[in-house]
Amino acid sequence: MSNTLQVPSAVQGAPAPRAAGGPARKSLLTRSRPWLLLAPALAVLAVLMLWPLVRVFLFSLQDYGLREIVSGEPNWIGIANYGEIFTSPELYTVVLPNTVGFAVLAVAGTVALGTAVAVLMASLGLFWRTVVGSAIMIAWAMPAVTGTYVWIWIFDADRGIFNETLEALGLIDEPVNWFTNRYTFYAIVLLNVIHHGFPFVAITILAGLLGVPKEMLEAAEMDGAGAWRRFWRIIVPNLKQVFAVVIILSTIWDFKVFAQVYLMPGGSGSNREALNLGVWSYVESFGQNRYGFGSAIAVLLTLVLLAITVVYVRTMLKEEEL
Amino acid sequence: MSTDTTNRVDASSRRSTEASGPTVAGLRRSRRTARKTRVAAGKAVLVVVLLAFTLFPAFWMLSSAFDAKAGAGGQQLLPREWSLSNFEYVLTEGGFDVFLRNSAIVALVTVLASALLALLASVAVARFRFTFRTTMLLMILIVQMVPLEALVIPLFVQVRDLQLLNTLLGLMVVYVALSLPFGIWMLRGFVAAVPVELEEAAYIDGASWGRMFRSVLLPLVMPGLVATSVFSFITAWNEFIFAMTLLGGATENYTVAIGLKQFFGEHSNEWGYIMAASTIITIPVMVFFVIVQRRLSSGLVAGAVKG
Repeated sequence: MSNTLQVPSAVQGAPAPRAAGGPARKSLLTRSRPWLLLAPALAVLAVLMLWPLVRVFLFSLQDYGLREIVSGEPNWIGIANYGEIFTSPELYTVVLPNTVGFAVLAVAGTVALGTAVAVLMASLGLFWRTVVGSAIMIAWAMPAVTGTYVWIWIFDADRGIFNETLEALGLIDEPVNWFTNRYTFYAIVLLNVIHHGFPFVAITILAGLLGVPKEMLEAAEMDGAGAWRRFWRIIVPNLKQVFAVVIILSTIWDFKVFAQVYLMPGGSGSNREALNLGVWSYVESFGQNRYGFGSAIAVLLTLVLLAITVVYVRTMLKEEEL
Repeated sequence: MSTDTTNRVDASSRRSTEASGPTVAGLRRSRRTARKTRVAAGKAVLVVVLLAFTLFPAFWMLSSAFDAKAGAGGQQLLPREWSLSNFEYVLTEGGFDVFLRNSAIVALVTVLASALLALLASVAVARFRFTFRTTMLLMILIVQMVPLEALVIPLFVQVRDLQLLNTLLGLMVVYVALSLPFGIWMLRGFVAAVPVELEEAAYIDGASWGRMFRSVLLPLVMPGLVATSVFSFITAWNEFIFAMTLLGGATENYTVAIGLKQFFGEHSNEWGYIMAASTIITIPVMVFFVIVQRRLSSGLVAGAVKG
């Protein structure tokens, strides 16, 4: 199944010790060559990704504010920041629902729409498949920042087309500000995220669908299985792996939604009801100069994503070796 | 197995024709075509709805950008007054000429540096078997999932300590690191796809490893390198959190992604300008995206599914 999806790989099935070293004798140069090749990239990743990850954890154990940044002196307070997070009522009433609830809805919406579009595309002729494919490519390529501004403009309270259309239809009497209410705020974020995220799902699943043996589907049709049953009984089991990857990747992306919330009116902290984990961390750090507290929130977000990533890696390892 | 089913169907249809005569078969056929038309009509409706939903934001952005009266209220689907005035304002007084230049410099440096580093590293993980290789790959995979919100605080402190706040250099260094893991991950598939036999042939002809790399591996990996570079270009061009945090008050160093904030006023937003600027930002990304679309998506899936 996975063979239909991947770039043809010479690694598979080849004997483990490779002849890439050239001459048979293994000189020191040959043995250290992979490390020499890796060194620059590893150095960059160590300094700019791993060390910062260690540091964000160290910050989270301190009362780290502007004074500490300037002086560079540590100010350890143990796990007090974490204590404050877990006793803050805001976490349970606002931040967690906005993060977890949103991610669940966004993943469900993205995967459902993406799958439906993939099935539709698979049933189209080459011309219309190309047209639809190009259209969803445009939605995919739209940068998150500009895409978010366009959605804000569409739902703008005073002159947005959404309000004007509703007024023209007589559904509302005066313009509604959709950004002040928490639920309509997140409904717009949801629309934005699904619109931006479903093309990846559709393209990935389409590639898988086209790889499902035609004979299998035809045989099922001959035996009287309807489209609905063919989908659940043949396509889903065949594409289990693809679905797993798409769902996990979407979950990771939808958990750390930032620009789509932060750029919205009130999303940058002035409307506390709209905070999610990422925005909360950023606003506490750079808005309130409470870098230690913000770091603790960021550590929690990272741990959640790490847990999902572990599931992802294990799903992939089940398939084949790295 | 497939021939078996075909035979069975042939047999059964022949039997039914014989049993019920030609009129019933004709009726059934017309009913089948009616059903087919209904399915086709349903599909056409779905395609139209899908296209409308997918394209509306991009269409609305363009329509507002070309409308001199955008944001004046009562906008129609098409601009009431076609004009380039929004673009003119954005590129001159709006300062987007400077932001575009900044973004182009940052993106170019990021692309070159990360392509070089990622290529070398991907050759190492795709072509050699060494201790910690799997660990290394897992680390690269996991590092991609780290949320930027967690990196932005320590990197802000780090860049501040190096006195690179408000400079483009600080931003470039960060972007190289951000695009590296994905670049290595994708290029690794492309390198692995080059047959080892070609490398061995080069050695037999007396080439050194360096010569083989330049004359055999590099040309064959080039398409993958282009696709990866486009991806890091898009990362650098679109990135928002770090640009906002590291460039802070230095408006003259803003990249396009944060330059948009200029047009948000205290009480009213200049939507015509915002949409014109958004169009300018979006177009390069879309052009590049369409060019590498196929390779990018197959590479994405290769990285994702293959492991």
